Amino acid sequence: MKLITFTVVVALVACAACTDKTAKSDKSEPGTGSSVTHTAEPSDAIDEKLMVALSQAKNFHHKAKIYMSDGDTAAAIASVREILSLRFPPNAPEADDVRNDARALLARLLVGQGQLDEAMNVVKEGLGSSRESFFTANLFTVEGEIHEARAQVLDKSDVAADKAKATEERHAAIESFDASNKIDKKLQDQLLERR
Amino acid sequence: MATERDDDDILTGPVPDPEDEATPAERAHAKTFAELVDKTLAGRTPAAMSADDRALLEVATVIRAASGNAELAAAKQRTLVEGALRQALGGKAVPSGEVTPITKARAPRAPWIVAGASLAVAAAAIVLWFAAPRRIHVVDHVVDHVVDHVIDHAPEALRDNWKSRPADPLIGPIARDHAGDASARLDTIFADRLDGYRELQLRGGH
Repeated sequence: MKLITFTVVVALVACAACTDKTAKSDKSEPGTGSSVTHTAEPSDAIDEKLMVALSQAKNFHHKAKIYMSDGDTAAAIASVREILSLRFPPNAPEADDVRNDARALLARLLVGQGQLDEAMNVVKEGLGSSRESFFTANLFTVEGEIHEARAQVLDKSDVAADKAKATEERHAAIESFDASNKIDKKLQDQLLERR
Repeated sequence: MATERDDDDILTGPVPDPEDEATPAERAHAKTFAELVDKTLAGRTPAAMSADDRALLEVATVIRAASGNAELAAAKQRTLVEGALRQALGGKAVPSGEVTPITKARAPRAPWIVAGASLAVAAAAIVLWFAAPRRIHVVDHVVDHVVDHVIDHAPEALRDNWKSRPADPLIGPIARDHAGDASARLDTIFADRLDGYRELQLRGGH
């Protein structure tokens, strides 16, 4: 009977030790992540969130086009504004590009409505927070157009000071167009170098 | 008895047509066999019978047992169960009528069975105890190597058109005349990214 008790105890102790060792080996080292078999999805991979956001932006643009063809500029402006509030994946470069293109269109629509200051705010918002791209270059182009529009308004004024301001606006327009050309050239050179 | 029925062998003789009228000989045979079945069910199986009758009787017994109505006598059941358990414990099969109570048969062997099983478990545990660290080390090494390989090659594995990226190369410089054509440009961007997304999904994700 003593032999039985001894062997059972030895077996239980050995099994407990093995179990403990296995459990310890299953635990991850601190800072090494919870699993070594799971590879994290790269953050820059095209994912469903990006495709959904692009699709929504596309639909708002098409809605805006229909409103514009109907002559309902206010509704078109509202539709384009919706694009600016779409949620893209964090750090997706497409988000900046799509928003800046929408800003360019929105600013042009606002210019058509005579809302020059609001148009300029929309453009400045895009230029202030984006990397250099063909879309920011396009924004500079629209900015130049807004300056031109302002100059034309000032030209109609009988006040002498407004004539001087109109000249300033034209110079500002030239600067904007130059900035646009400068970005375009820089980016084109970079693309040619990569090829 | 078997000699009398050699000319009337129902198992190996010609098979009559199902529509044919039963012959007097067949009727007599059926009546005899029915009595034989009745006796068997009553526990009075004749010691001697023809091979054909024995075969038919076995079939009849199996059919009756399959119908769920057959039950062994309590003494017979106990005998069979005790015999099966005794064999399972390593003993010899006990002929009918010589049943040894299971408790009596098991008593002297049980401690040694438990002791043997425990020793085997202990031996296996000790072997695992010494073998495990070496195996775990090897497996850890292989896993580390695979993980390093995946981490090193994952960025290269993601092709450019599967990545979220600036749309400049796709769109190019925007002419002033087309400054307001944002919708057309977005259609181009969407189509391009959709291609990449589909490829990535068909590849099984990343």
